[in-house]
Amino acid sequence: MMTYIVFILSVIFVVSFVGFSSKPSPIYGGLVLIVSGGVGCGIIMNFGGSFLGLMVFLIYLGGMLVVFGYTTAMATEQYPEVWVSNTTVMGVFLLGLLMEVMLVLYVLKSEEVGVVFKFSGVGDWAIYDTGDSGVFSEGIMGVAALYSYGAWVVIVTGWSLFVGVLVILEVTRGD
Amino acid sequence: MNPLIFTTILMTVLLGTMIVMMSSHWLMIWIGFEMNLLAIIPILMKKYNPRTMEASTKYFLTQATASMLLMMAIIINLMHSGQWTITKVFNPTASIIMTSALAMKLGLTPFHFWVPEVTQGISLTSGLILLTWQKLAPMSILYQISPSINLNILLTMAVLSILVGGWGGLNQTQLRKIMAYSSIAHMGWMTAVLVYNPTLTMLNMLIYIMMTLTMFMLFIHSSSTTTLSLSHTWNKTPLTTTLILITLLSMGGLPPLSGFMPKWMIIQELTKNNSIILPTLMAIMALLNLYFYMRLTYSTSLTMFPSTNNMKMKWQFETKRITLLPPLIVMSSLLLPLTPMLSILD
Repeated sequence: MMTYIVFILSVIFVVSFVGFSSKPSPIYGGLVLIVSGGVGCGIIMNFGGSFLGLMVFLIYLGGMLVVFGYTTAMATEQYPEVWVSNTTVMGVFLLGLLMEVMLVLYVLKSEEVGVVFKFSGVGDWAIYDTGDSGVFSEGIMGVAALYSYGAWVVIVTGWSLFVGVLVILEVTRGD
Repeated sequence: MNPLIFTTILMTVLLGTMIVMMSSHWLMIWIGFEMNLLAIIPILMKKYNPRTMEASTKYFLTQATASMLLMMAIIINLMHSGQWTITKVFNPTASIIMTSALAMKLGLTPFHFWVPEVTQGISLTSGLILLTWQKLAPMSILYQISPSINLNILLTMAVLSILVGGWGGLNQTQLRKIMAYSSIAHMGWMTAVLVYNPTLTMLNMLIYIMMTLTMFMLFIHSSSTTTLSLSHTWNKTPLTTTLILITLLSMGGLPPLSGFMPKWMIIQELTKNNSIILPTLMAIMALLNLYFYMRLTYSTSLTMFPSTNNMKMKWQFETKRITLLPPLIVMSSLLLPLTPMLSILD
């Protein structure tokens, strides 16, 4: 089972994506986003990216999704739509599930989980050597590099986020 | 809108395109596209009514889909080449996906459906920015990956765009939709020669931007958004009727005017590469474009369009002063004799 853990996690990942793509009410979309975030974190951790997985949990689930949940709870309606309340939503959900099941059967029959995820060796997760003592993981050294060599990236992304807030305020303010 | 915020957002649009054009890392290019998209939404929504909101939503959805496709192509390229530098894209799958994504951003057929609807729903100035500045960023990426683009896909999209741009514009009386279809056709001409000689793509882009800028400024000057109100310019400012005539004929690609230069060079380059049917078809389909430009000039400059008697003494606000208009008009009509200077380019 352990050799197929990434495959199982990725199947749950796709199923939860189907769950919110079939457009139930946003509060239920947030629910499956939590599941997909947690499972995605598991997938990344299985490839050795422990720092990135923790980032997903802390920042994505613990920061952004919590704020999303609060704003959705403020704007929710009296009878929110679930997957089984509306024929269309249920139809799309079942269709997505069916396609996923067919894909899983195809992958399992061809006896090769590698066809789904061809990873070119361990090169991407190799040790990032800064010349200091010891051995560090890529994730943490990446953050350090972001603030030293990658200053331009910080400026650009910081400005994009700032302008994003300005744009949203302008659009919702109207006249 | 608050002038300070408007300036900030406009500068961010400029910054986004600049980042796309000068970055060497694929992720920065994607960030530049997103910054550009995000910042142009309030510019499209300058007038706050349901039409502009709908147009902005359509623009946002199509461009965001194109950015997602671009990101997927970038990641496939990363998986197969192991690096993030901008070079030609070696993997064919990534190349096709990237070409489709950039075609969606430019408004090439079969992804052209958003261009007339979005251009119609927004004000003339926003439409100007949409049809000229927003084409620069995707075209610069196409230029950079041009050695690896699949010829069949790009040429199919280009020829279909010229056809759709000409054919679709035939039934339009709204000026913004006419300009949108004209943009689709010109993008088709530009991408047709991209694989053969990318310098001509840039030349065509330059002259297209000048001509479209001129047309939009003439429309803004006479505050007209329909053919009917354009046909009243003989009453308001008779000089602009002549200028509209000259610029529209230049857009149609008629010889002594500058609009002929890119078409001539493109046809010459294509025939040098032993494709004869293709430029013949392209030139024939450009006639459709010429037809609706001629219809505009007919109703505007060459005849007095039928109107009621009290429309003949039209009341108007004080004329807007558009500083750049005279040099633009000169450049968009008289540049043809400078064609031999092309030999200094690359």
